[in-house]
Amino acid sequence: MTHLSLFLLCVAAFAALALATDRAQQDVLGRELAPSATRRVRLLGWALLALALWLAVAAMGWGLGLAAYSGHTSAAAGLVFIALVAWNRRRSR
Amino acid sequence: MTKAKPQARGIRQTMSDLHIWAGLLAGWVLYAMFLTGTVAYFREELSRYMRPELPAASATVDAGEVAQHVADTVLAGTPNVSQLGITLPTVRNPTASAFWRQPPGPGGGRGRGFSSGVFDPASGHKLDARDTRGGDFFFAFHFNLHYMSPLWGRWIAGLCAMFMLVAIISGVITHKKIFVDFFTFRWGKGQRSWLDAHNALSVFGLPFHFMITWSGLITLMLMYMPWGLQTLKPPERQAVTSEMRFFLPPGKPAGEAAPLLPLAGFVQQGQQRWGPGSVGTVQINHPGDAESRVVVVRQQAQRISTTPQYLVFNGVSGELLRAKDSSGPAATTQGVLYGLHLGRFADITLRWLYFLVSLAGTAMVGTGLVLWTVKRRAKLPDPARPYFGFRLVERLNIAAIAGLSIAMAAMLWANRLLPLETARRADWEIHVVFIVWGLSLVWALVRPAKRAWVELLWTGAAALALLPLLTALTTERPLWRSLAQGDGVFAGMELSLLALAALHAVLALRTARHQPKTRPVRKPAPVAPMPVGETP
Repeated sequence: MTHLSLFLLCVAAFAALALATDRAQQDVLGRELAPSATRRVRLLGWALLALALWLAVAAMGWGLGLAAYSGHTSAAAGLVFIALVAWNRRRSR
Repeated sequence: MTKAKPQARGIRQTMSDLHIWAGLLAGWVLYAMFLTGTVAYFREELSRYMRPELPAASATVDAGEVAQHVADTVLAGTPNVSQLGITLPTVRNPTASAFWRQPPGPGGGRGRGFSSGVFDPASGHKLDARDTRGGDFFFAFHFNLHYMSPLWGRWIAGLCAMFMLVAIISGVITHKKIFVDFFTFRWGKGQRSWLDAHNALSVFGLPFHFMITWSGLITLMLMYMPWGLQTLKPPERQAVTSEMRFFLPPGKPAGEAAPLLPLAGFVQQGQQRWGPGSVGTVQINHPGDAESRVVVVRQQAQRISTTPQYLVFNGVSGELLRAKDSSGPAATTQGVLYGLHLGRFADITLRWLYFLVSLAGTAMVGTGLVLWTVKRRAKLPDPARPYFGFRLVERLNIAAIAGLSIAMAAMLWANRLLPLETARRADWEIHVVFIVWGLSLVWALVRPAKRAWVELLWTGAAALALLPLLTALTTERPLWRSLAQGDGVFAGMELSLLALAALHAVLALRTARHQPKTRPVRKPAPVAPMPVGETP
């Protein structure tokens, strides 16, 4: 259960961080967000990453928590990356 | 590359060159180390998959009883055992195993006299399984290599790990826009796409890649730099070693017979100290002797550090002689790094994460190797006749990447097909790996490069995809039964093999469809030099 919430938090965090880049905004939304909105989305992403770190350490302790956090962030970033690639592929057809 | 003046080479360009050449020189060995190391995260599961005769699961038996059953069986067969180590069943491995040692001499074993066996935890009966190294082969190969002394293998592996560390650091410096380009992937752009993929695979797993390379070097540090330890006298040296891992030599027997107390009591004391299910192994020195010792060792799960924790008892009186609960800070640092590298503490989710991120690391090395050729192919004066160095790298890439998948799958084929009575069967399973790998190199050398890629990738896909069928034909545990019975190891292994087969098929299809954009006629002016810092 901890693993699942950790992973979902990380996916949401990286999705937000991705949406804070010009390229993803163009690709997904078709337009660029206002600088203030971009900042808020980026802040949200970092906040979610911090929350995930807190959850991992609180639930599993420092050693296991940090190891699990590292794994979940890597996997979540990879998933968001693949999702963006797939999104663009589908759109360009 | 750039037409800039030589003195204008910035730090990024220098780092880029360092990255390219450090990566290329160690790349083939690193790829093999990464891939075999990756599958070694499922070492015990692989070992079970390669011993299909053993039961899929067993009734839960009290750890103390299991130890007693196994000890009874071993001692009934070989009474004059000087040392007996029993590994208790775990969540990952439902059988118990044991090794024992007989003193050399009349009635004793030959040489160092080690024997080992696998046991049914409930009855303590010895279980017969085919002769195989199982997942241990991939684990050992990833730092010992093979067909050479482990010492040589470790020096080569360590040198390559050094190159890897250099490649990681120089790669991070070269990759200027790590955050800006974090999610960037440009599809169908040839070299750009390869570079984006290489970057993504490297950056997402960066904490892991760095940790695994560094901790890999640390695990072998005493071999690379033994001088500190060598200044110590043997007893002190042994004290240092015992801070890092459990090692208790048999010692001298009294020569007087005395009955060994039931093992359950010792195991119970370990469980009281560390929690239920926490005892991993029980070692008995000189069972049946007045000076017998029983050591209860804590298992690795739920604890990152590999530093040992154990209790030493007098086997006759039951007196607790020594309790090892902690190690010094230096040993603990080493133990934590080693533990992080091995991932034995990981539960099933974390183990999968380890596997996936490590697989991304393998792909990072693979894409890096391919990128070397992609980048140079576009600049070849005559693409039909590349120069020798290019051809060499290209062919070695094919054998090292596509060939290795086939070779590793071949071990599983040999595991199923080699007759059980084959002499030195376990060795032959491994010979098959290298014979097949060698054949794939020959194939890569004699076929046109692109065809060789496609053909070997398809072969890999077929070798992986047909393994579940082979298992269904040669064992009692076909995939549908594993699925129906909830046999996580067999079902998980075969579904993963099918997924890997699909991955190879996709790669084969994409390679076959690929039309390289070569520019045989060189146009001097309009080809803009690639901006510094975006080279791989």
